[in-house]
Amino acid sequence: MDFKESGFMYLLGGLVSIFIISQALFFMIKAWKQGRKIGISSATLKNTVASSALFTIAPAIAILATVITLAGALGLVLPWIKLITIGNISYEVTAAQSALNAFGFAGGLALEVKDKAAFAAAAWVMTVGCVMPLILVPLFLKKIQSKVGKAANTNAKWADLMSAAAFIGLIAAFIARAVAGKGEKEIIGDGAGLLSVATLIASIIIMTVLQRICKKFEIKWLEPFAMPLSMIAAMGVAMLLAQILPDNLVAIEWRG
Amino acid sequence: MLEKTYINKVHIWGRISTLSALFMMMCIPVSICLYYNVWPDAAKVFKGLLSIVPMFWAIAVIEVITYAPMLGAGGTYLSFVTGNISNLKLPCGLNALQNANVRANTEEGEVISTIAIAASSITATLILALGVILFAPLLPKMTAESSPFAPAFQQVLPALFGALGAGYFTKHWKISILPIAAGISVLVFAPGLAVGALIPVTVIISLLGAQIMYKKNIV
Repeated sequence: MDFKESGFMYLLGGLVSIFIISQALFFMIKAWKQGRKIGISSATLKNTVASSALFTIAPAIAILATVITLAGALGLVLPWIKLITIGNISYEVTAAQSALNAFGFAGGLALEVKDKAAFAAAAWVMTVGCVMPLILVPLFLKKIQSKVGKAANTNAKWADLMSAAAFIGLIAAFIARAVAGKGEKEIIGDGAGLLSVATLIASIIIMTVLQRICKKFEIKWLEPFAMPLSMIAAMGVAMLLAQILPDNLVAIEWRG
Repeated sequence: MLEKTYINKVHIWGRISTLSALFMMMCIPVSICLYYNVWPDAAKVFKGLLSIVPMFWAIAVIEVITYAPMLGAGGTYLSFVTGNISNLKLPCGLNALQNANVRANTEEGEVISTIAIAASSITATLILALGVILFAPLLPKMTAESSPFAPAFQQVLPALFGALGAGYFTKHWKISILPIAAGISVLVFAPGLAVGALIPVTVIISLLGAQIMYKKNIV
């Protein structure tokens, strides 16, 4: 039996999953009760849960796919545990790579790790590298929130604009990445190119159309699902284009 | 002062659960070492850490400051424990706020974003657990380069942020142009820049631009 995928490792993964689900359930129940208390309708709360769950499916499968990319070197379980806690793929890959390099494995994540000490070292580096937010958040969040709250209370119009601007800043980074970002040399399809731009445009158009339809025909139930549906449909467009266009067009990544 | 007490409680629950999560996280490498009775050379572990910790911890500071006001208190505690913030938790929270038609940093916003991020964490954790246990043999085939599904998974982020952006751009097109143009310009000169490093840049430019337009009464 491969030590990286032993019963013990699965037990660790199971315990971490149970912790995360319990924490989320606890916060959800408390927020739900508070929401009802301040007059948010049950329908709105239920819609929030349903649309968020649906929204999560595609990105979660994409995260699952990244677990697989790390599994070649580290087995399935450690990447699984690491990707449901803190950080994200870019941290985990960098951390694991750095640990393996320190152990003299020049190939890093490209090769299967068979040395238990190197495996344990990767677990240490991936953990310690990523825990900082868990120290900062309990220490400073309350202060950050109360400052933001005060600023928001004094000028609501300005605060709305600023929060929209912050969101747009975040979205802009990902849009820029899809239009002009460079991918990894060895991987086809991760850099900006025909497919990323086509997917982006398809997603914007489908979402705009769905929003218009919701508004015009007053289809309330569709609203929360407009976003996840647009996203999945746009991914479908990417699949379709990859099938029908000639390979040399699909593979265009102008920044490499 | 009902709201005050709820928010205060959120901070108490959040601190306890985040510190428990921190303890649990540290137990993972410890228990791997104990169970397999291997203790990797501390000097090598330290060397591995040295090349990433300065950058990772600096990014952690920026992430907490940038994301916390958008996620709300409950959402922040949950998001930082479960990770995948910019590619999942934050867009999910924004989508929920838009749908419920409430603002961030209000009591309603706090409740809605907490519920959305909790639902997202549970769904993601279940999908990953099921995926690892049930579909492990199949997944490499689905995501392999030759699979017809591969292009869909490679384009998950453009699909996600296009749909999310559509709503914001129609409502706030004036303040959207500058950060998108800035993001693209930065990448023209530094195409390999990781999106994590680009986010603080575009967020700050977007905030400054919006602030100037607000002062000049353009928005």
